[in-house]
Amino acid sequence: MIEIKNLKKVYNGVTVVNVPHLQINKGESIGLVGNNGAGKTTLFRMILDLIRCDSGEVLSNGVNVAGGEAWKNYTASYLDEGFLIDYLTPEEYFYFIGGLHQQNKAQVDEKLAGISEFFNGEIINKGKYIRDLSKGNQCKVGVGACLLQQPELLMLDEPFANIDPSTQFRLKNILKDQNKNHGVTTIVSSHDLNHVTDVCERILLMEKGVVIKDIATGSSTLSELEEYFGVGQSNAAYVVDKEENH
Amino acid sequence: MTDLSSSHMISTFFDHELKAFWRSKNTGKSIAVKVVMGILIFILFLYVLALGLFMDKIVHAMSPNEDLTVAFCGIVLVYFLGDLLMRLQLQELPTLKVQPYLHLPVKRNSVVGYLALTALLSFFNLWPIIIFGPFILKIILPASGAVTTIVFIVSIIALSIFNNYLALYIKRKANLNGWIFLMAGAFLTLITCGDYVWHLYSLKAISYLFFGNLIIKPYLVLLPLVLSVAMYYVNFYYLKGNLYLEELSSKKDVIRKSSTEIPFLNRFGNIGDLVANEVKLILRNKRPRSALIMGLFFMFYGLIFYTNPKIGEGFKVFVGMFMTGIFIINYGQFMFSWQAGHFDGLLVSKIKFTDFLKAKYLLFTIVSTVAFILTTPYVYFGWRTVLIHFIMYLWNLGINTTIVLYFANRNYKRIDLSKGASFNWEGVGASQLLLSFPLILFPYVIYLPFKYLGYTNVGLAVLAIIGVAFIITRDFWIKKLEADFYTKRFKIAEGFRNK
Repeated sequence: MIEIKNLKKVYNGVTVVNVPHLQINKGESIGLVGNNGAGKTTLFRMILDLIRCDSGEVLSNGVNVAGGEAWKNYTASYLDEGFLIDYLTPEEYFYFIGGLHQQNKAQVDEKLAGISEFFNGEIINKGKYIRDLSKGNQCKVGVGACLLQQPELLMLDEPFANIDPSTQFRLKNILKDQNKNHGVTTIVSSHDLNHVTDVCERILLMEKGVVIKDIATGSSTLSELEEYFGVGQSNAAYVVDKEENH
Repeated sequence: MTDLSSSHMISTFFDHELKAFWRSKNTGKSIAVKVVMGILIFILFLYVLALGLFMDKIVHAMSPNEDLTVAFCGIVLVYFLGDLLMRLQLQELPTLKVQPYLHLPVKRNSVVGYLALTALLSFFNLWPIIIFGPFILKIILPASGAVTTIVFIVSIIALSIFNNYLALYIKRKANLNGWIFLMAGAFLTLITCGDYVWHLYSLKAISYLFFGNLIIKPYLVLLPLVLSVAMYYVNFYYLKGNLYLEELSSKKDVIRKSSTEIPFLNRFGNIGDLVANEVKLILRNKRPRSALIMGLFFMFYGLIFYTNPKIGEGFKVFVGMFMTGIFIINYGQFMFSWQAGHFDGLLVSKIKFTDFLKAKYLLFTIVSTVAFILTTPYVYFGWRTVLIHFIMYLWNLGINTTIVLYFANRNYKRIDLSKGASFNWEGVGASQLLLSFPLILFPYVIYLPFKYLGYTNVGLAVLAIIGVAFIITRDFWIKKLEADFYTKRFKIAEGFRNK
């Protein structure tokens, strides 16, 4: 699905992304983790052709994304509120996005009805512009718009960050369902290790722009990640953590 | 922090404010823009200063039979009435910036005091002094002496402070309830109409009643002083009692928002959808909306020039271009900045840039057509006038749209749609300044040589032909613009991400 070759991005002499090679296959569910500044969002943006890479390329279905249009047909993404047209009502936005994919209003309404549980009655027919919604509800609009497009590749940047626990739970189910039952390749970044190990079968751990770990999720993955992120913590505290998780 | 004195805190606020100004991304990395802006402000300042310095001559010319001082005294209050109206429309509330301090151990009095004080740092408070100061020194001082001069100056400063706080108070109230603004506007209109339309009273007489008596009874200066101090405290206590974010912010959206459709645009498919979005962008956001409303005012542009018989036909080319194309110029100069907030979203969604550009052309065509239709009453000045308007309408659709979009590819400045239009320099960069040259010069470069050779009609015909030629070859220009965009899109998107 996605193949990255020698991808590099340098800002002011600092390499923020450096991925010599990465292959993401169709139907995989990828979790991207790493501390702030690890290069997750930059990598996302390069896959979406939003920033110029200094060297290398990103191939989507074998075609370079840079300057291409074909990948937009099957790729849906939500990185931040900058992806939403904030002076529209959510319905207007959904109809617009649906229209881009040749869906009429009835089709859009039908699809939205399918995710009404995720919206939890806070999005549709609320009489608000997107800009007046809370960050969590904006995130729901962004994710909703992605699902509407029935993508083959779904990319979400920290989708769990602003949404309430019930919505987090629902989003995890949606992601699993999309991946398992619809064959959608998902790439999700998160700081919540529990969520990401729950949803994703393959975890990429980034540090200073480099993918330092590429692991298939197993029973020990969570503790392995906690060990990495728990730098500086005393061993005792770590053990307590482990017990809590059992 | 709590034991810091209030004045110390206020100076810290000022320091932060200065840093915010200089470090703001919009303060402009480009020195050229700063210089030009500086010059423009300086020229405006010179105009006002000239108005002040020649006030005596102007007053004399306006009412040659009246005594200078009497006429002057009659003007002052009328000025302040207009001043209040201007402030209500243009003066910005110094508000939201306090947000980061509200949760800190900073005394409320410091925050409120800071807000109240910075409100004085407005150009509006400078104008009355520049306009009236010279006259008072030139005419009143020699005629009535030092005491009168001082009380005049103090009165004028006090009145402008009164106006300052009154305007802010009304605006703050209006933030909570939009009707208050309308009521204030209606009230001011009634006062004006009462004098100039219904002749119930004379504002000049009232103004003279006060300022005329001020010459004889200097202690009357206490009246404006008390008014201004009272208004300051009304503001101070109102702010102090309402120092909550939702009330400070400029949001007054309580009305239920409904989804709207523009059926006419449906027939254009995806391009129509894009135009519909942009129409909503314009109507639902302050700054683009005022760009559109400004455009409507430009429909009267012709009245200023055409009623003057001395102005020749060559000028109609210019006026016609502005009237039918003001939207292209006024709104188009900030393309694609209007969409900066969701530009990433546009880039990753399934929109072909060709369609994106075609949508811009369609939007320009619709608005310019409406503008052209609105200018048809100028047929009063002859069919030829309408013909010239039509030629310039074609020119706008052919050339100016393309020029504007060419410069849009070179515009990397973000615009925050939620902010108002007045004195908002956000998004203004070198590209807007450069843009104005070809827009204004090109039609003349073509028209004037013909005119001076005596072939005016040929000149007009050539303008029309070029306009039509560009409209016919539009697809070619769209391709060029698209290729150009692809070399610049990363820079544009990055610039738009910089808040």
